[in-house]
Amino acid sequence: MGAVGTRILAVEDDERIRAAVKLALEDEGWTVDEAGSGEEAIELFTRSAPDVVLIDIMLPGIDGFELCRTLRRTSAVPIVMVTARADTHDVVAGLEAGADDYLTKPFAPKELSARIRALLRRIRPIVPGHAKLVFGNLEIVPEEGKVLRDGAELHLTKTEFRLLCELAQNPGRVFSRESLLDKVWGYDYFGDGRLVDVHVRRLRTKVEVDPANPRHVVTVRGLGYRLQS
Amino acid sequence: MTDSTGANAAPDAGGDASANGDPVPSAGWAQRWGDRLASFRMGRLGLRTRVLLMFSLGSLLLAVFLSGAAYSFTRNSLVTQRDRVGVEGATRNATLASAELAARPVDASPAINQLQEQGIEQTVIRYQDTWRAGSPLFTQDDIPPSLVSRVVDDRVAARIIVSEDGEAKLIVGIPLVEPDAAYFEAISMADVDETLDSVALSLFFGAIITSMFGVVLGWFVSNRAVRPLAEAAQAAQLIAGGRLDTRLEVTDDQDLRLLANSFNDMASALQARVERDARFASDVSHELRSPLMTLAASVEVMQARRDEMPERAQTALDLLVSDVSRFQGLVEDLLEISRFDAGAIRLNRDDLLVAELVRQAVAVSSVPSTPVHVSERGECLVMRGDRRRLARVVANLIDNARLHGGGDAEVFVSEAENEGEPLGHVWIAVEDHGPGVPEEERELVFERFARGGVAGRRSSSDGAGLGLALVDEHIRLHGGRVWVEDRRDGEAGARFVLELPAEEVGI
Repeated sequence: MGAVGTRILAVEDDERIRAAVKLALEDEGWTVDEAGSGEEAIELFTRSAPDVVLIDIMLPGIDGFELCRTLRRTSAVPIVMVTARADTHDVVAGLEAGADDYLTKPFAPKELSARIRALLRRIRPIVPGHAKLVFGNLEIVPEEGKVLRDGAELHLTKTEFRLLCELAQNPGRVFSRESLLDKVWGYDYFGDGRLVDVHVRRLRTKVEVDPANPRHVVTVRGLGYRLQS
Repeated sequence: MTDSTGANAAPDAGGDASANGDPVPSAGWAQRWGDRLASFRMGRLGLRTRVLLMFSLGSLLLAVFLSGAAYSFTRNSLVTQRDRVGVEGATRNATLASAELAARPVDASPAINQLQEQGIEQTVIRYQDTWRAGSPLFTQDDIPPSLVSRVVDDRVAARIIVSEDGEAKLIVGIPLVEPDAAYFEAISMADVDETLDSVALSLFFGAIITSMFGVVLGWFVSNRAVRPLAEAAQAAQLIAGGRLDTRLEVTDDQDLRLLANSFNDMASALQARVERDARFASDVSHELRSPLMTLAASVEVMQARRDEMPERAQTALDLLVSDVSRFQGLVEDLLEISRFDAGAIRLNRDDLLVAELVRQAVAVSSVPSTPVHVSERGECLVMRGDRRRLARVVANLIDNARLHGGGDAEVFVSEAENEGEPLGHVWIAVEDHGPGVPEEERELVFERFARGGVAGRRSSSDGAGLGLALVDEHIRLHGGRVWVEDRRDGEAGARFVLELPAEEVGI
């Protein structure tokens, strides 16, 4: 069951889907706001400050990607993309636009609830007693949810932050895509590795001085990723 | 080349017929020859061979012609020169002999001697019906009668070239001023022959070298001529393999540009069509998924309230739930297969530990309790593949066993049998306890919506028969194959085997 009072903004142009998903999500204990278009969603977003946003990619007017980018400019709110096409570039494009996770229509609302719960899961204190972790010019303060590079605070989304903390838990250890999917997104063995790849890419553009030649978040070919000073 | 079948065959056939008095076998013989000749016609040969042959023949003919011309020109000029020198010498000697005869008009001996002293031996002088020769090698018998009659009777200077024992000689005859006197001299042309021989030899080798050069040139030219064709063939192959953006380079060559442009137009049209199909599949996907989304969400809301419903409504709800999920699966399968048809499938390949993949796939399948047996070497097999698609394949086979195989399926992972070292394939087998698949239907079960005889026994209300067709497509995309056979332990039941490329790694 979702935490009482957790607000979800569902952006979907199909009225019936919207109604059915709202019913099902409310059954799971969430509070649901509905928006039928991107414009409406932007307006509602500023008014109701939702905890999670659910965006259908195919929207009239402002499409899902654009809406996602617009929200990302001002907010680190968890965003779940809903796509009808799992195997096309839609998925990667949605993640690049700033989505934290995606679901393919038709999904079970229970599955969506599980995804949302995973996204909202609080970061547990990584190393008890250690207020902050330092990796070269990078400084992580897990308790405050802050990351600083050369003393300046970086704006990471919740998922990017969790990904970074997960890697920081065991500096130097190689994390496979599957284990990161499991720990950060709560996926099983058959999760989509692209989720990890795109988020690592996005994380690099923020924490690395030169994202093309990463010094901290390093790819280990064929195995996964690791964090180093 | 011309077709000489008719011209050659007709007289041969006629000749044979008259000899045997039996026209039938001879007609067959002619036919055979006709066929044999026809098989040598250009049309049967490849372009490259034709160009090569034409160049070789052309250069050979040219070489022979040029060599012949050069030889005859050299021969003529050498002979003419020798002729002139010979006639001049003979005229000088004849004047000498004439002077001697005038001084001592008894007989020709003094003149012969005089000439012998000067080293001129092969002379014959006829004086007053008597022949005197300076050397036994050249007597009046060696002089052709035609020359004698012209010089002696007609009193005209003449010369002739004779060949004696393979040696050419120039014989010059000159009438002398004394009555009834004539001078003959033989001049050897052996050195001319020798020169001509060496010229012929070098021309012969020249011709061979030229011909060989022609062959090499022909090889290069034919290769060049065929290269655009080879490129086009390669491009066509790439397109057939799914690389639809393959295009031919448009060159400056007018003829080739036509080919390249037409080819590229065709490729573009094909690409546009395939993309349209893929887009259609994707649009259909969206259209079908939207109502399904509403159904799935609504059904879930109703399911949460199942206990509040009357019994009959519960039964109806259960039917609705199971068919919504069946419908969902069917739409997924249809979309997946239309993506195959549009060539729109992109595999998301990873290095996978086969045994782990199978165990995980079974764990999330419709019968997670299905036992998985992995052989010792099976544990160490790694393959490159799309994790989710392969899991789907295993899940489909387990579904198939559940629906048609009487349940109780078992999964086996092992190294492929009958393979040498190093191991190249893994076998993933799913065995069930159903009625099995009869021999004649073992290909059919992998076809889409396979029904008919297969369905009579195997079909239930579930599954429209796309599952195995998808298995087949997925496995083929991974470079493997799938087949069905009898259970290994002799009991009734089917055994579906996936053979996939895999490598053994040390663990």
